Amino acid sequence: MEFHETEEQQALRGAVGKLGRSFGHEYFVETAKSGGKSTALWQMAGKYGFLGVNLAEEYGGGGAGVYELQIVAEELAAAGCPLLMLVVSPAICGSIIQTFGGKEQRERWLRSIISGESIMSFAITEPDAGSNSHNLATTATRDGGDYVLRGTKYYISGVDEADAILVVTRTGTDHAGRGQLSLIVVPTDAPGLSKTVIPVEMTAPEKQFTLFFDDVRVPTENLIGTEGDGLRQLFQGLNPERIMGAAVGNGIARYALEKAADYARVRQVWGVPIGTHQGVAHPLAHARINVDLARLMTQRAAWLHDERDPLAGEAANMAKFAAAEAGIAALDQAIQTHGGNGLSTEYGLATLWGPMRLMRTAPISREMILNYVARHSLGLPSSY
Amino acid sequence: MNVVVCVKQIPDPANPGKLTSETHTIVRDGKLILDDSDAYGVEMALQLVDAAGGGEVTLVSMAPHSETSGLRTALAMGAAKAILVSDDALAGSDALSTAKVLAAAIKRAEPDLVIAATESTDGYTGTTPVQVAEVLGWPSISFAKKVAVADGTVKVDRQTETGYDSVEVSLPALVTVTAGVVEPRYPSFKGIMAAKGKPVEELKVTDLGLEPGQVGAAGARQEVVSVEPAEARKAGEIVVDEGDGYEKIVAFLEQIKVI
Ligand SMILES: Cc1cc2nc3c(=O)[nH]c(=O)nc-3n(C[C@H](O)[C@H](O)[C@H](O)COP(=O)(O)OP(=O)(O)OC[C@H]3O[C@@H](n4cnc5c(N)ncnc54)[C@H](O)[C@@H]3O)c2cc1C
Ligand SMILES: Cc1cc2nc3c(=O)[nH]c(=O)nc-3n(C[C@H](O)[C@H](O)[C@H](O)COP(=O)(O)OP(=O)(O)OC[C@H]3O[C@@H](n4cnc5c(N)ncnc54)[C@H](O)[C@@H]3O)c2cc1C
Repeated sequence: MEFHETEEQQALRGAVGKLGRSFGHEYFVETAKSGGKSTALWQMAGKYGFLGVNLAEEYGGGGAGVYELQIVAEELAAAGCPLLMLVVSPAICGSIIQTFGGKEQRERWLRSIISGESIMSFAITEPDAGSNSHNLATTATRDGGDYVLRGTKYYISGVDEADAILVVTRTGTDHAGRGQLSLIVVPTDAPGLSKTVIPVEMTAPEKQFTLFFDDVRVPTENLIGTEGDGLRQLFQGLNPERIMGAAVGNGIARYALEKAADYARVRQVWGVPIGTHQGVAHPLAHARINVDLARLMTQRAAWLHDERDPLAGEAANMAKFAAAEAGIAALDQAIQTHGGNGLSTEYGLATLWGPMRLMRTAPISREMILNYVARHSLGLPSSY
Repeated sequence: MNVVVCVKQIPDPANPGKLTSETHTIVRDGKLILDDSDAYGVEMALQLVDAAGGGEVTLVSMAPHSETSGLRTALAMGAAKAILVSDDALAGSDALSTAKVLAAAIKRAEPDLVIAATESTDGYTGTTPVQVAEVLGWPSISFAKKVAVADGTVKVDRQTETGYDSVEVSLPALVTVTAGVVEPRYPSFKGIMAAKGKPVEELKVTDLGLEPGQVGAAGARQEVVSVEPAEARKAGEIVVDEGDGYEKIVAFLEQIKVI
């Protein structure tokens, strides 16, 4: 049993934190509100090798694991810059392409994901399938040397910043009527692909899109791994996705609690700092305990994933659940501690409500995690 | 070209600092980190070696408890190796004995140029580097805002109150750099992983040919007799502009005799 981070992991925390703070939450908010992109920060993170810490050295990556990548996500968020595309581009897409992509595919896509020169979006969610991925209706049909894609995806993040999208499609149906899935890379400028922004009440530079695939043709070389094996392949990306979602939440929570504690130490209304009142101090202490517990579970999940331990799936789900709940509570308490200032733009807390609240819904909802734990960990019957 | 950078490892300035009650020196029990002031020197040195087309950057540090965290950060930025002097006999060192130790360590690396910060973040006497140069018998230039090396000389734009002086001396020499000199890089992940394998030579006072009596509390010529908290800054005066704001500003400037 070893709970110390290595000197290198600590150094990574330090370096990423420094980079994040040199941009800071104001940069994040200004970029989001002006309709800009966080490209400057993203490319710096790429230049210093932070985006690809988990990916192969052969393609410019750091050769470390998801543990290191979740450090990157947490430290940037703790500096007030929760970059949601970290969850998607290097974690989901990077992990899947590294594991199942052929040499040419890795050369083509992995290298630029790692360097930060390009971003890859990920599209699974559909209006009519919801949380039930067996019901996916976007189809890919072989036609000569091409796949032809038809269907609709929605809430797909960052498509306007991305060069390509890893799309989960249905290439067949099994005897039980469930979709046989395949993962296909679609360039964002492919003819027949249209993108519509979904306005969301969230302060973040990333936009969300509905995607219509109207007979979009891509060469069969864009299939990742084996046709019909997509569901199994997805799992290589879904643990990192959950762990990274958790890490972003943990970082936001740390940022919020630090601000709350700073404020509670100096703000006086009855002649003493408000932090003296236990009504203010105890909820913050309570929030801190839950955030540290969530971080512990996130770190354990990342470690299990990197060790290829089958327990990683359960731990990643639990970490994502715990981090979302602890983070939302921590941010809410930080806002409360600031009184009216908690809702101001200047104090930079309410601006994080959207990204933090999102963690309860995406990438997998709280209820679907509870379903998983009820069934998988407790052996309870399934309602669906 | 070989460059030595003096890097001080200090308690994290983000945490409240503490002084010992007897000797009034900074408590350095916990982990020490690279002084941000020295990140500029490391960056400057890396750029100079790069421009020279060869050579390496060696770090020299004196710190308690065999501390290497700050050195690893600078190695991760790209320095090639480090010399660390760590010895219980150094407890209670003043700036002069620190300078003697640093100078002896620097000599082993046989550099063309030594770079230090103008002052550290924790002790900030700003007196160590020039004493190092004096002990070495080398010329020194302080407050560099621009540094270039060519044909055995170092040319420096030296920050002054009104502008800058252009100063040139022959190598070997010592230069202290200001925070404006270059923008330090962050350690990259590859740099962090590579730093793990870079050599850090740890030395004791006697390895440097110094006598324990010359350094530490025994050799210190300076003693901190007492410490008092700095006077709290007085609250500023807020002038509400009712159309006569400029008159009040002029009156204030006259009162402090700047106009
Ligand atoms: C800002 C944002 C960014 C996103 N980015 C991406 C992206 O990049 N790529 C992508 O593919 N998707 C993305 N999503 C989609 C996100 O992953 C889904 O919204 C999420 O998984 C929930 O799916 P749904 O919206 O279809 O909800 P539904 O499945 O319709 O669920 C609605 C509600 O019912 C609950 N529910 C459903 N089934 C059950 C059940 N069996 N038992 C109990 N409760 C149940 C759910 O938990 C939820 O509360 C994003 C969403 C948002 C808001
Ligand atoms: C009375 C007294 C007692 C002290 N006792 C101790 C003690 O017990 N233990 C202890 O560790 N220190 C002790 N010190 C501090 C130590 O010796 C300082 O390093 C030295 O005094 C330099 O002080 P400064 O921080 O003001 O350096 P400055 O002159 O402000 O430093 C300028 C630059 O010189 C270089 N430099 C300075 N110090 C070092 C260093 N140590 N290693 C590498 N580069 C350096 C750096 O580039 C630095 O930015 C003591 C200091 C005093 C005055």
